[in-house]
Amino acid sequence: MTATAGQQSTVNICEAQAAGQHHLVSARGLRKTFHENKVLDNVDFDVDSGEVVTIIGRSGSGKSTLLRVIAGLTEPEDGDVCLDGRLVRSKGQRTDEWNAGASLVGMVFQSYTLWPHMNVYDNLTLAPRKVLHMSKSEASDRAAIALKEVGMEEFIKANVSQLSGGQRQRVAIARALMMRPRLILCDEITSALDPPVAAEVLGVLTRLKHEEGLAICLVTHDMAFAAKAADRVVFFSEGVIKVNASPHEAFEECGNAELKSFVDAVRFG
Amino acid sequence: MNNYNFDWALVWGSLPDLMGGLATTIQLAILTIVLAMILAIPLALARMAKIEIVRWAAQGYIEIFRCTPMLVQLFWIFYALPALTGITIPGFWSALIALTANLTAFMAEAYRSGFQSVPVEQVEAGQMLRLSRMQQLRYIIVPQALRQQTPVILSLNISMFKDTALVSTIAVADLMFRSNVIATQSYKALEVFTTAAVIYFVIAFPVSLITSHIERRSLQPPKPKPFKRADASPANPIVPEGVR
Repeated sequence: MTATAGQQSTVNICEAQAAGQHHLVSARGLRKTFHENKVLDNVDFDVDSGEVVTIIGRSGSGKSTLLRVIAGLTEPEDGDVCLDGRLVRSKGQRTDEWNAGASLVGMVFQSYTLWPHMNVYDNLTLAPRKVLHMSKSEASDRAAIALKEVGMEEFIKANVSQLSGGQRQRVAIARALMMRPRLILCDEITSALDPPVAAEVLGVLTRLKHEEGLAICLVTHDMAFAAKAADRVVFFSEGVIKVNASPHEAFEECGNAELKSFVDAVRFG
Repeated sequence: MNNYNFDWALVWGSLPDLMGGLATTIQLAILTIVLAMILAIPLALARMAKIEIVRWAAQGYIEIFRCTPMLVQLFWIFYALPALTGITIPGFWSALIALTANLTAFMAEAYRSGFQSVPVEQVEAGQMLRLSRMQQLRYIIVPQALRQQTPVILSLNISMFKDTALVSTIAVADLMFRSNVIATQSYKALEVFTTAAVIYFVIAFPVSLITSHIERRSLQPPKPKPFKRADASPANPIVPEGVR
């Protein structure tokens, strides 16, 4: 249940997967240092298809870095990453399989990253048209479906400046859905939102898990969501995964003092 | 001054000659601005490159052109470069090279500032959607950077339009050169140079007004536009007009 960091071999994680332990994401021995500060210290991490994993921990504990490494936005110093059976990163370096594996991953960020000079429609259809070479009508149809999935179908003609924070995050989720990912990484996407709006956005993610079978990896400080909607809770501290368990085990049965103190601090300030 | 006899008829008679000079001035200004606006993009990118030698080379270029007088640059290309290469470059082309090289340096700094103002998360969002580096530049970074830097870019272009007058020193027959010839031949410097100043002003002032307008608008918070929600009924599919 606890402390899974750095205990497994990093030889070839895809071989282990072929032997029957198939995870959508498998990372082994990830290491990353910023200015001599170890933010990922030999971290092993798995996500299964259709699983919701919430990653919690204090600021600077390494949780966002883990997401960024999986997404390919941050280069680790060492470690292997396997995405749906493809070894996309070996000993910290991207392999030839990177592009194929990375196409399975979408990401939604903490700050609103919709492009403000485009309307909602253009935000959603730019990548499908330019990257997947979809026709206008195909991209339009997919945009309508993606917006419907996040409850924003009425806003397809809206400018980004006309949307509230929660609406922007829902459109950002829809934009990620346009590329048909199997895993969505969410980096503190509700931290700038009021609690009711945050709950609405998290509700969208839960629905996507159930209706689309998407795996979701969410860095959050929302303990209620972690407890109710997540399949697994991962607690990070000083670059190491200290707890990796079901919400019930993590919050009710786990004796990890650091996790308890963190949860108390988040709940009661 | 009181005894001065204005001779505006001379100016009127010289107008075709002055307009010919103005055509050269405008041609030079437009070519310079277009070339500099294009060349400044790779220079700005080189200025932000992760590879140090590329960054230093770009910075060196920019500093050389920012920290030396444009007249010296013009003379260097017209007089010194042929001595170095053995190739004589005609006046117009020397002027075009010097002005473009100079404006590119300033424009690149304006672009760099604009590029850096685009939040990195917006670029990362593009990366996550697998847009190539060129696509990120074309669709995400450049449109926002240009929009933000429009007042600066317009100001640089107004300055460049006025600075084209320097090319008269290397015998390019622009508005200033022709004015100088007419004034020298007629001894009517007051009328001729006043007319030249008015012509420069008439062209630069509207652009200056537009620049001020854009600057004022960029300082104001955007006005919320009325937004009508799309009706998702089958009769009115929720797809913008013209995309099907």
